[in-house]
Amino acid sequence: MTAPRAVQPPVAITGVGVLTPLGDSPGAVFAALMEGRSAVGEGGAKLAEIRDFEATKYANIRGMRMYNRTTRLAICAAKLALSDAKIEAASLPGEDLGVLMASTYGNMDVLLEYDRSLVEKGVQRTNGALMPLAIPSAPGAMVALAFGARAFSMTLGGTGSSFLDAIALGARWITDGRARACVVVSASSPSPEIVLAASRAGILSATEAPRVFDRRASGTAFGEAGVAFVLELAESASSRGAEVRGHVRGYGAAFAPEPSRFGGALERAIRGALRDADMTPAEIALVSAGASGLPAFDRAEAMGIHAALGAGAGEAPRVPVTAMKGALGETLDAGPGLQSLVALGSLDERRAPRIVGLTDPDVEGLHYLTQEEVVAGDSALVTSVSWSGACSALILSGGAHGRA
Amino acid sequence: MGKRRIVITGCGIVTAAGHELEPFWSSLMRGECMIKPLSTFSVRDFETLFGAEAPLPPEDALPSHVELSGYRARCLTLALAAVRRAVADAGLPGDAASRERTGAVIGTTLGEERQVGDLSDRWSTAGDASVDPGFFARSDNHRLASVAAREHGLGGPVILSAAACSSGNAALATAYDLMQMGAADRMIAGAADTLVRSIYCGFHRMGALSKSVCRPYDKNRDGVAFGEGAGMVVLEDLEDARRRGAHIYAELAGFGVSNDAHHITAPDPSGTGFKRAIQQALATTGTALEAVDYVSAHGTGTVYSDHCEVRALYAVFGDRARTIPMSSIKSMIGHTNGAASAIEAVACALAIQHQAVPPTANLTEQDPECNIDCVPNTGRAANVSTCLNLSAGFGGFNTCTVLRRVS
Repeated sequence: MTAPRAVQPPVAITGVGVLTPLGDSPGAVFAALMEGRSAVGEGGAKLAEIRDFEATKYANIRGMRMYNRTTRLAICAAKLALSDAKIEAASLPGEDLGVLMASTYGNMDVLLEYDRSLVEKGVQRTNGALMPLAIPSAPGAMVALAFGARAFSMTLGGTGSSFLDAIALGARWITDGRARACVVVSASSPSPEIVLAASRAGILSATEAPRVFDRRASGTAFGEAGVAFVLELAESASSRGAEVRGHVRGYGAAFAPEPSRFGGALERAIRGALRDADMTPAEIALVSAGASGLPAFDRAEAMGIHAALGAGAGEAPRVPVTAMKGALGETLDAGPGLQSLVALGSLDERRAPRIVGLTDPDVEGLHYLTQEEVVAGDSALVTSVSWSGACSALILSGGAHGRA
Repeated sequence: MGKRRIVITGCGIVTAAGHELEPFWSSLMRGECMIKPLSTFSVRDFETLFGAEAPLPPEDALPSHVELSGYRARCLTLALAAVRRAVADAGLPGDAASRERTGAVIGTTLGEERQVGDLSDRWSTAGDASVDPGFFARSDNHRLASVAAREHGLGGPVILSAAACSSGNAALATAYDLMQMGAADRMIAGAADTLVRSIYCGFHRMGALSKSVCRPYDKNRDGVAFGEGAGMVVLEDLEDARRRGAHIYAELAGFGVSNDAHHITAPDPSGTGFKRAIQQALATTGTALEAVDYVSAHGTGTVYSDHCEVRALYAVFGDRARTIPMSSIKSMIGHTNGAASAIEAVACALAIQHQAVPPTANLTEQDPECNIDCVPNTGRAANVSTCLNLSAGFGGFNTCTVLRRVS
């Protein structure tokens, strides 16, 4: 049988919200990346923080002070995205607004605080209000509560690929009429215990900033971020005169059990996304990759891209490949959201930023961007290889140039 | 092209009422309550805790390839045990090409929370030194899905769904749509949860923890009694299932979703959210009101939740709400949190297979404000062609899956 399409009819991205150490608007973040700036310290810093983050500057939400930093970042990113989309409570009934959150560790600091208090103080002296905020779906549920989103509220986890899965599912649920608009949101502010465990596991580089796709890569650094996209049917966006930031064109996902086979899984995910978008590899003008300085994963991603986008018979793909985690750090589930933002910014500006932290490619044969470059085309591929082996690929087209 | 018809060809459960389908179903039909004083799980500050433990045979111990480093992974153990049973029950094709197009969506409310509990226990004496390198990977709940995928050689999308106590239905809905999207040809979907300290303490502080057993719709109910378990189904295309001669339990016809956005823990008292999820499920699956034969209720045994659900049922079905069989198997196997709606989906599939409806146990005096046919205390034969499977979770996410008999 012919496989059905994942994304049909056209789904538009009408709002983008972002908070990172390099800026709090898509334009500011993209400009910083184009300048080659990095938020990740050179001296082996383990977490690139958003300094002086004050949630009330972005959103005045009742109960915000109860929420952990991940939830506050997510709410603020969602608020910025909804504002960008010019969607307010008065213009869209709550029953028509849904929220999909991508999060794996977003509840961990609350759960640790709550559980530690149970051990140290006992149940009667522990703040019971923390319990509902300690479950993995809590950050996303609080985003939905903050904006009165009554269509749906669900969280997907995948330590890296879940944002792309959430975009695809959100597009599907918009297409099926379960909501008129969907906020896909993620935030990352890993708890000290997660940072410590990752550091002790050798995931974080002890001595230097991440070397992305590089032969001398020795680990990554975490970054803080909040990122949100607003999805709507393109037709509905057009009818209300919304400015379109981009379009969701195709999605694919696959799994492999071990790093040596992750490249093959990513290749299948990319081929699935191309098939879904009814596109050929030659139509991809840019790859926004998720590489973060972890050698086995970066290598697998490079090999997957090479295999899926090569012209055949081992020929290397000519498509430029950029990656932003050398500048913004590993932002876990939020990472593919930031990659998507880079993809849309590059399609809009017709130029893409260089990869910070790459001097000596580990896998030859890809056109890694070591300096900014012109983007000649309308569609970009976003790729993700998660630590557990879940790989996802998403194809986006630009707002002005994609199909409408 | 039109929608694929997606069917359930394999079921796997791990519950206090059994880990094989027929004993589980027989126990449910007899109305056996498995909620008892707990023996293997305790929480400081509680003299006696009630719950429904799900013992497993030794062969379900975690396989050696799963990195444990001496830590507990009860939720993963339950999830893998249920997945194994579902895969075997379905006779899932084992060739590489089929497995490459098979994925998994597994849900949970709190997943491997005992990892956090172990860390907390060590923290007071060891501080930072208690954080070991493996904590990063072990506390990632996506492992529930990825380890299952590894064990069965799956190559399709592998995703964790978290929607509190709607996680099981959320996993079914996500898997259903991944198949509709063409991202996979077969999916394993379900959820797992175990008994955890934080949930017991939280419900105790909210005054919602039962001091004995769960009594949905009973005038004398006193709250939630927890259980542990997992429920998994294998989903595949109807044509594929027929072609390979697979046993078909039921069609997963579709689902409805809504969100209350009302309160962090309490559902919207009007039941409006639940009503919208049910109506969306009926509308998107083309199910007429009169076609619904059985409702598997969320039915947690709190006054607030029971009343919301019954209000929603009346809002959708009018007076017919009084006569549609609607029961809660949580009265027998406890509230298994995220796993609940997945286990209840299996119960719906079995209800269709056996043409019978399971009961609500522990009912002695029905709450007059819950004027429904809650199938008191023992199951009974019934014509079951279409079931609604309801769930709700903290934060207000409501789901309703529709299971239908395949003629």
